[in-house]
Amino acid sequence: MTDNRPVYLNLIKIRLPLTGMVSFAHRISGVLLFLFIPFSVYLLDLSVQSAESFAAVKQLLDQPVMLVVQLLIIWSIAHHFFAGIRFLLIDAEIGVEKSQARIGSWLVLLAELIAILLIVVGVYS
Amino acid sequence: MSLYVLEGLRPWVIQRVSAVYLVLFFIYAAYCYFSADVIAYDAWRDWLYNPFNTTVTGIFVIAILFHAWIGMRDVVLDYVHNIMMRIFILAVLIGILIGSGLWVFRILLLSVVA
Repeated sequence: MTDNRPVYLNLIKIRLPLTGMVSFAHRISGVLLFLFIPFSVYLLDLSVQSAESFAAVKQLLDQPVMLVVQLLIIWSIAHHFFAGIRFLLIDAEIGVEKSQARIGSWLVLLAELIAILLIVVGVYS
Repeated sequence: MSLYVLEGLRPWVIQRVSAVYLVLFFIYAAYCYFSADVIAYDAWRDWLYNPFNTTVTGIFVIAILFHAWIGMRDVVLDYVHNIMMRIFILAVLIGILIGSGLWVFRILLLSVVA
């Protein structure tokens, strides 16, 4: 039997619930963090070689386009960190029930926002 | 050939154990960063090549490699269904991870040699 019903999978139009968004963002941030691994190792290598290459790392990171990349890394770490802790708690059967799950997702977003602000203020001021 | 490594409880456990270690390491690293007087070349090297920090960083690298491998493997298994494509992408991923890991260990061990 062939199924001719239209499949509607417009990713922009699908409205995920908040818990779904947090979960999907956890995945996106995880993939981004993976992609940053080789670049991070390269920077680590430069940073320990000599005082000059350490300065070169700073110079590289200070470029405007790199500030955007840095913000992306900071968001990825902050989101993956707090959403990950939430998943660990859910594994421990804490915050599984629907209303608690919503609160948990809001707490993740709140914690990640605070962490991003603290990091940005702490690192760049 | 057993493909046990591709499924089951063991990766699930490794993912969570490594996650807990990563959380602890990030708290420690953030504490060190924000309590440091200066962020400069000498201070940074002293921090990294302090035996304790080299060790916990080495464990961090192992934890993050396993964590990234299992996470990326799950993503690939969810979205890539062609078996040859899967094997190809997984091979590339593991190459990137092992390469990055060996590179970090070279950096971490240079202090022992130098």
